[in-house]
Amino acid sequence: MAEKKRTTKEILQEKLTGGKGIPLYNPEALKRLCQEFEQWRSTMVGEEDRKNWCVTPHTILGSEIPREMLYTPLSNPDFDYMQDLGHSGQEPFTRGIHANMYRGREFTMRQLTGFGGPEETNQRIKFMLAHGGTGINVLFDLPTIQMYDSDDPMSRGQVGMSGVAVDSVEDMDLIFKDIPLDRVTVSLVTHYPSNTAILFPMYLVLAERRGIPWNKLRGSVQNDITLEEVVRSGPEYIPPKDCFRIQCDNIEFIRQNVPLWNFVTYNGYNLREFGTSGVTEMAVALANAIGTLEEMLRRGHEVDWIAERLAFFWSPASDFFEEVARIRAVRRLWYKIMKYRFDTQSPRSMWMRCHVQTSGVSLMREEPLNNIIRAAYHALACVLGGVQSLHVDSYDEAYSVPTEEAALLSLRTQQIIQAETGVTEVVDPLGGSFYVEALTNEIEMRILDEVDEIERIGGYVTALEKGWLHKKIAEYFNNERKMIEKGVIKLVGYNFYKAPVELPPINVFRYPEGVEEKQKARLGKLREKRDIEKVNSALLALEEACKKGENVMPYTLQCARVGCSEGEIFKVFKQAFGLWKPPVFW
Amino acid sequence: MSIPGVNVEPARRLERKMAAQIKVLLSKLGLDVHNRGLITVANELRDAGMEVIYIGNSFPKEIIKTAIQEDVDVVGVSSLGGAHLTLGGELIEMAKKEGLKERLALVIGGVFPPADGTKLKEIGFDGIFMPGATREEIVTSIRQIVSVKMDRPP
Repeated sequence: MAEKKRTTKEILQEKLTGGKGIPLYNPEALKRLCQEFEQWRSTMVGEEDRKNWCVTPHTILGSEIPREMLYTPLSNPDFDYMQDLGHSGQEPFTRGIHANMYRGREFTMRQLTGFGGPEETNQRIKFMLAHGGTGINVLFDLPTIQMYDSDDPMSRGQVGMSGVAVDSVEDMDLIFKDIPLDRVTVSLVTHYPSNTAILFPMYLVLAERRGIPWNKLRGSVQNDITLEEVVRSGPEYIPPKDCFRIQCDNIEFIRQNVPLWNFVTYNGYNLREFGTSGVTEMAVALANAIGTLEEMLRRGHEVDWIAERLAFFWSPASDFFEEVARIRAVRRLWYKIMKYRFDTQSPRSMWMRCHVQTSGVSLMREEPLNNIIRAAYHALACVLGGVQSLHVDSYDEAYSVPTEEAALLSLRTQQIIQAETGVTEVVDPLGGSFYVEALTNEIEMRILDEVDEIERIGGYVTALEKGWLHKKIAEYFNNERKMIEKGVIKLVGYNFYKAPVELPPINVFRYPEGVEEKQKARLGKLREKRDIEKVNSALLALEEACKKGENVMPYTLQCARVGCSEGEIFKVFKQAFGLWKPPVFW
Repeated sequence: MSIPGVNVEPARRLERKMAAQIKVLLSKLGLDVHNRGLITVANELRDAGMEVIYIGNSFPKEIIKTAIQEDVDVVGVSSLGGAHLTLGGELIEMAKKEGLKERLALVIGGVFPPADGTKLKEIGFDGIFMPGATREEIVTSIRQIVSVKMDRPP
């Protein structure tokens, strides 16, 4: 019988015990401090405050971690600077992955863009770049996300909504019109493994057409099974094990052929926004990353070959210090996992690089201008936590896609943090705070505990199949909703300090008209002019590759080259793998 | 016109009516990916004593078909992706065609520009719920709409 596989937590516990180096506080000083503290507590702190010494902040998407009234060195008596923090750019990377952090490289201002047809989105991208945006972040419309063509009956009425419509390489070409693909970094928000396998090849074919070698392309895709199988609500799903296989196929192919591209962005963001705590968000992403690396090892690859380019995507919500601590905590935990679970020596593999987007569900429809303040605090927490790139949500997002004015304000929010507040001059400014360090420790422990829970179920894909995450989400957000309704979670302008009179309305974005017709016409033209024999044989070859277990991406690439549409390619996946019905709990 | 399914289990329908248990069908409208809100509503309506069927993503034709088969009192759809007017309009048309508009409460929730709330009312939705609608508002409003439609006390 095979030996029982040890969990990541067990491995870390074994390798990290007994290794305490040199605690910063000397025992004498701590002893004295302890006496002083007790003295202070009994004389200076009132009875009520002593009784309620620990209070749990109830906040949107919060982790419900109790907080003491005052933090001191006693909160973290074993604090060992070099072992727990290190300097920036140094193991365990708690203080940041680079020594000089934002002095060396500003955070990338990567605002999401995408609505209507490719032409409209191209205009908005140019507008954002012209105003100082430093990265492109393309969001696709509902049919594209769900992998149906614009002329599919299921797509009617939804083309160009919530993102930009893409059916084929032709649309990709229009989105990036006049944009030099070898000189920008592009995040393609292909949430799912399936649509990554379909849409990224379209981008590659576009580069081919423009004569740009793939090794000049920089950017990222998301490619995360969690989004396809848990966070998404859609009419058709392929089974988790096949979805995970496509996730890994994509990673393998992109790593081999597009060396500067980030082939996966473990997306905690959408999961948390769907309804989980900040702890679960990170635990799930780490469990998925661990599963991916195990699969890559099984496929015969070196850990570092993959790990050096892994990236994460987090959602910062309203509990300010929790958000700062969370990013620091997961950075240290990722380092430990890479170093001790996967035995890597490469610092790059130990770097938890991340993009963040301020929380969308925290935004209120009531008094929408308040959302500007909320998003600014979310963004500031991220910068204090040391993230690599940032999107700030717009105040009007509880109404529609942001107007140009609102999108610009989001970019300005980032620019003000970056240029006016001075916070980027000092690396990890909150490092060493008794409070932030204690919270960082607590959150790291909680994330590892949840990773352990997932691994004990049998790993991430098994946990998905069994509905563990689906259930957890339902419990979390139902509870959160109740706390909001009871006013336990306070939301200014909604259930707390409600305005007695209705405020004047804000401008709201209207979708451009006629996008669906234009998309259909362009797709119709493509269907006419393409070589149908080549199309059919590319689709057939893809189906065989799916069934034989070959990497799917060379085949989806061929499909893109000969003019297959997204819907046609997804249909092959559905035929080859069959459909899966995800569990719904409520 | 005879509508298949409408009169199935008349006894059960009457029983439900007597017990004032409202039966609700909930669906995500079209391809919209955001279902957190609707699942929350499903939970709340169930907690409020209603019988709830949640079918995930569906389209007007299938939604109406299921509404007939399941003999529900309320159809609630959710749209955060922008298709509230197009697919929402289709849903209302479909309900009218099947002669259900008079006895079925049709409600919609999601993210829309404020002006569209009025439009949704005009095209025939009985209840419109924007972000921020409370459990209380949703439950009370559905009970009222149903009581008017079915001519029974809320």
